[in-house]
Amino acid sequence: MTPLALAFNLVDAGLLAQLLLGALAVVAAVTVPARLRNVLSGSLISVAGVAAAVTGTAALLGAVGTGLRIPVALPLAAPFEPLLLAPDRLGGLFMALAGAVVALAALFGIGYAHGPAASRTGWTAFAVFALGMQLVPAAADAITFLLAWELMAGGSTVLLLADHASRGQVRRATIWYAVMTHLSFLFLLAGFGVLAAATGGTSWATMAGGAVAAPVATLAFVLLLAGLATKAGLLPVHVWLPRAHPEAPSHMSAAMSAAMVKMGVYGVLLLTLRLLPDGPRWWAIVLIALGAGSALYGILQASVQADLKKLLAYSTTENVGLITTAIGVGLLLRSSSQFAVAGVALVAALLLAVSHAAFKSVLFLGAGSVLHATGERDLDLLGGLAARMPWTSVSFGVGALGAAALPVTSGFVAEWALLQSLIHVDARADRLLAIVIPITMGVVALTVGLGLLTFVKAYGIGFLARPRTPAAAGAHEAGPAMRAALVLGAVLVVGLGLVPGPLSQALAGAISAGGVSTTGGAGLLLEAADAVLNPVALTLLTLAILVPLVALNGVLARRHPRRDVELAWGCGGERTSPRMEYNATSYSEPLVRVFRSSLQARQLVDVVHHEDAPLLVEQMTFTQETGDVIEDRLYLPATRWAGRLGDLARTVQNGSIHRYVGFSFAALVLVLVLVALR
Amino acid sequence: MIDSVVVVVVQLVLAVAVTPVLIGVMRTTRARLEGRFGGGVWQPWRDVRKLMAKEPTRAPGSTPVLTVAPILLMASSLVLCALIPLASTLALESVPGDLFVVVSVLLLGTVALALLGLESGTAFGGMGSSRHMVIAALVEPTVLLSIYALSVPAGTSALAAIVQARRADPASLLNPVSLLAIFALVVVVIAETGRLPVDNPSTHLELTMIHEAMILESGGRDLGWLELGSWLRLTALLGLVANLALPLGIGQDAAPLTLVVGIAAVTVKVLVLGAALAAAEVFIAKLRLFRVPELLAGSFVLAFLSVSASYLVF
Amino acid sequence: MSIQTYQQLLATTTGLLLLTAVLQVWGRSIVRAIGLLVLQGIALAGLVLTVGLYAGEDSAWVVAGLLLVVKAVIMPWAMLRSARLIGVTREHSSRVNAAVELIGAAGLTLLAYAVSGPILGNHSDLAAQAVPVGFSLVLLGFWQLLVRGSAITQLVGFLMLDNGIATISFLTFGGLPLVVELGATLDVLLVVLILGVLMVRMQAEQGHIDISELRELRD
Repeated sequence: MTPLALAFNLVDAGLLAQLLLGALAVVAAVTVPARLRNVLSGSLISVAGVAAAVTGTAALLGAVGTGLRIPVALPLAAPFEPLLLAPDRLGGLFMALAGAVVALAALFGIGYAHGPAASRTGWTAFAVFALGMQLVPAAADAITFLLAWELMAGGSTVLLLADHASRGQVRRATIWYAVMTHLSFLFLLAGFGVLAAATGGTSWATMAGGAVAAPVATLAFVLLLAGLATKAGLLPVHVWLPRAHPEAPSHMSAAMSAAMVKMGVYGVLLLTLRLLPDGPRWWAIVLIALGAGSALYGILQASVQADLKKLLAYSTTENVGLITTAIGVGLLLRSSSQFAVAGVALVAALLLAVSHAAFKSVLFLGAGSVLHATGERDLDLLGGLAARMPWTSVSFGVGALGAAALPVTSGFVAEWALLQSLIHVDARADRLLAIVIPITMGVVALTVGLGLLTFVKAYGIGFLARPRTPAAAGAHEAGPAMRAALVLGAVLVVGLGLVPGPLSQALAGAISAGGVSTTGGAGLLLEAADAVLNPVALTLLTLAILVPLVALNGVLARRHPRRDVELAWGCGGERTSPRMEYNATSYSEPLVRVFRSSLQARQLVDVVHHEDAPLLVEQMTFTQETGDVIEDRLYLPATRWAGRLGDLARTVQNGSIHRYVGFSFAALVLVLVLVALR
Repeated sequence: MIDSVVVVVVQLVLAVAVTPVLIGVMRTTRARLEGRFGGGVWQPWRDVRKLMAKEPTRAPGSTPVLTVAPILLMASSLVLCALIPLASTLALESVPGDLFVVVSVLLLGTVALALLGLESGTAFGGMGSSRHMVIAALVEPTVLLSIYALSVPAGTSALAAIVQARRADPASLLNPVSLLAIFALVVVVIAETGRLPVDNPSTHLELTMIHEAMILESGGRDLGWLELGSWLRLTALLGLVANLALPLGIGQDAAPLTLVVGIAAVTVKVLVLGAALAAAEVFIAKLRLFRVPELLAGSFVLAFLSVSASYLVF
Repeated sequence: MSIQTYQQLLATTTGLLLLTAVLQVWGRSIVRAIGLLVLQGIALAGLVLTVGLYAGEDSAWVVAGLLLVVKAVIMPWAMLRSARLIGVTREHSSRVNAAVELIGAAGLTLLAYAVSGPILGNHSDLAAQAVPVGFSLVLLGFWQLLVRGSAITQLVGFLMLDNGIATISFLTFGGLPLVVELGATLDVLLVVLILGVLMVRMQAEQGHIDISELRELRD
């Protein structure tokens, strides 16, 4: 391919640019002195992310690359087929998503990375991770996919270990993460292996084109879903998410939560829409069940967390659950031949994915800014940050608005599309649909309600009221790079919500669904649902009402100005300390009671009486622990069983060398006899 | 286009005018049934006027949320009145009153109030905010499922279309599915606007406050907006329930006569419904907070049944 | 080389290999065991030379010479030296009595002949017909490892095992690439040298070189 021809093929040029920039970023991370490392590495990775975003968008809108082939020659090994990078429209969408998130995270990292995260290893790992993640959706065959997947996993594991010297939980979190990531890799390998063997090739085109017998297809589906569900953080293999995401450096948490889990979603879409379309109905039911369970469980756990980053991590499980539910609904409708509404559901899933990427990155970056300024992640110890960190608090507020699916953010548009698809299902003739759809609706509704509570809590307790500790009182605003990333993210959250029409049309193109068009400027028209959503018009209406109201208020304010007083009212002059405020644990206490059986919270009240007056209380300590029920009920027994089996096996080892030699001997004789008898 | 703007303006003015009267009627009904005289039907209006003329206060350490939240609540309530078909079903072209949009705007007001409660930095505010949000979270499934039940027969979630469809087919009003959905919606209105048995609007006891706790710190103009905004929500939601349950009299266009008839019809319906609600409140006590989820779960089951019935039976 | 010479030489060398292997099982003298090992090494070298020359490869001289030097000279010399250092000349620690050992050895040789037929399939190659010898060397080497307790005889068994594997590979494939053969041989040499040192230490530490007393290799 001549350089000239390259220049005219945007997709190929973009892919090459990403590879080049990634390599440059690694070189910069290793060679540049510490002073410049943050800026240089961060900028290079950020630009690579932007390149990915541009390339991905071009691919989404229909630009087709000629298929970039990278010959890989490993010495002394069997010759590999060249790696094939050729993103289709769906891959382009996820590449754009990953690129945008990486760009924001790297920009934030310029100002945020400190200590081990800013070391050579830290930035190299981030560069490798970013490159892997951007190339996963661009892969056009299974080998390239798995290679990029491993790059992504490896880079993230290394960067996760950044703070291990100072905190023990980091090590434990990394072990969980490493084990589950590699389990997912093994499942993917097995699944792709089964498919490749059945269809005779490893490229997506071959796998999609080959006819696969039903049992083989089911096996491949189960294996691949197991691997993808682990990466995406669905129940019951989500346990690594709330451990790993909080412990990573914040720019990494943002990238992991907002983009990496989407690679699992991309895999599911690839599997169900391209590789094995027309699967049986129960596949869709499985997806809906997994998704609904994850959504509900995730948001329930999120609503009772006091650790801000853990809250956000569980919220990721919830959102991925919602996306999977939407995909499941779409597939179920396709199998019932309601193609128009199925298209709406799938577009809703993609909208949810895009909006989640936007608001989750802002939220995690905001949490990072808070952590950077106060050294605290615990909401119970924060408060009053809005006055001290205005930029962070406004951006976090916008992100929280998006997470709670309130107008006029992209989260709102996505939720609206999902609900529209659910109510337009024609379930009169189909019993299964008549049962599944209302249940799904109920679950989605409860999730939305709990999400509202969670994010009001996260924002209100952390940023409003008065500071509960000196650390919170001493907070300072973030640096320019961090601020820029936060503001850009917030703009994206609102901006994507104001143009739902063009956005949805592009997304509908990714899955070849029709019935989605733009109306009235940038509004969204769902033909199948006969529903219109025009956020711009809604905003204008609100402004039309708000402006006279504000003017009236201003007139009244001039006549009766606001008076500053010393004490808040609090029913008689509030002389208590900020520690008497409601904090995150108390905010969700009613929920803990209502959902007692699902949360299994352990509460301990410790009362210390006065020495001289045993009836008077000197001090009371309240401790609440909410573990992860799935981890306690499923994983702990499983690991205990594995341990017991290991102990059993240990009795065979008695130390005698003769016995060990005897084992080898017996094995050899057995093999010889068996082969001879065959 | 001009027609629909006229309708919106008329609805806004109507709502703001009727709201204090509605609250006055409700309080007077309750008072008379309890053997008291009450402050009169115009007392709420007098209260709002008084509050608007007083100075609000600001304690040290407050954020702009203190000023913004009351106005945001008021604005969200007004947007509700603009979107919900009160006097006429002629909707704005580009913003058809989609039920999900209406719910989201309602939730925006809820969130503004909750944040205001947290902003005050007092224990009361946090408590009210926490309880308010828990109830809002638990009532969501009922809300969305009742919308679902009401949208399925009309084939769309645009409120105007639903009301028109119900008006065109009076038999559908007595459909058990529809009745169940309306009943669930009534429970939703009670929960969202903080009426008995979910919340006592006239209490100031720490153990029983939910709405009142969140607005405890606000005074003067802020309190005026908050009160008016909360009352407007009640008016809008009662208007919605009234027009869904009995779409009699609602206009289809912006002709002056139909508008007058529509205004009169909705005023009468809202006042009657409000009085009935107040009368019922005399006979029930407030539920303790941890019994409220049972009530909400019950309403959820009703809404769920109505949806399933509409598919499996009818 | 003519076919008859080839056949004759093949029979001689493989017969010698088998004989030395069986005789290992019989005696209890360490010096005798090492001597038998030397003979085995010479036989192996002869086998390699025969097969190589018949196939027309001149590198056979190099390989055979290498094998001769390492297996018949260096390794036995190292082992003898260690034995003299320790002062052990007789094997005292055998886990089973001589009769059982001999019967076991016979059984294993039979087994080797029984399984090598089906395993190799139908190789009508002359060399391939002598492969059972290689298998029996392997199994007898293992048997030595299993029933003897002294560290030196363990080493003898290990070396016999290695000889057996080399025999099989030369008879079926005409040998291994020079690089691999070199690597394998060097590996084994290293093992012998290291174990020689270890044996001296064992003697110093515990006063004998019976490995059945060593039981710390476990969790």
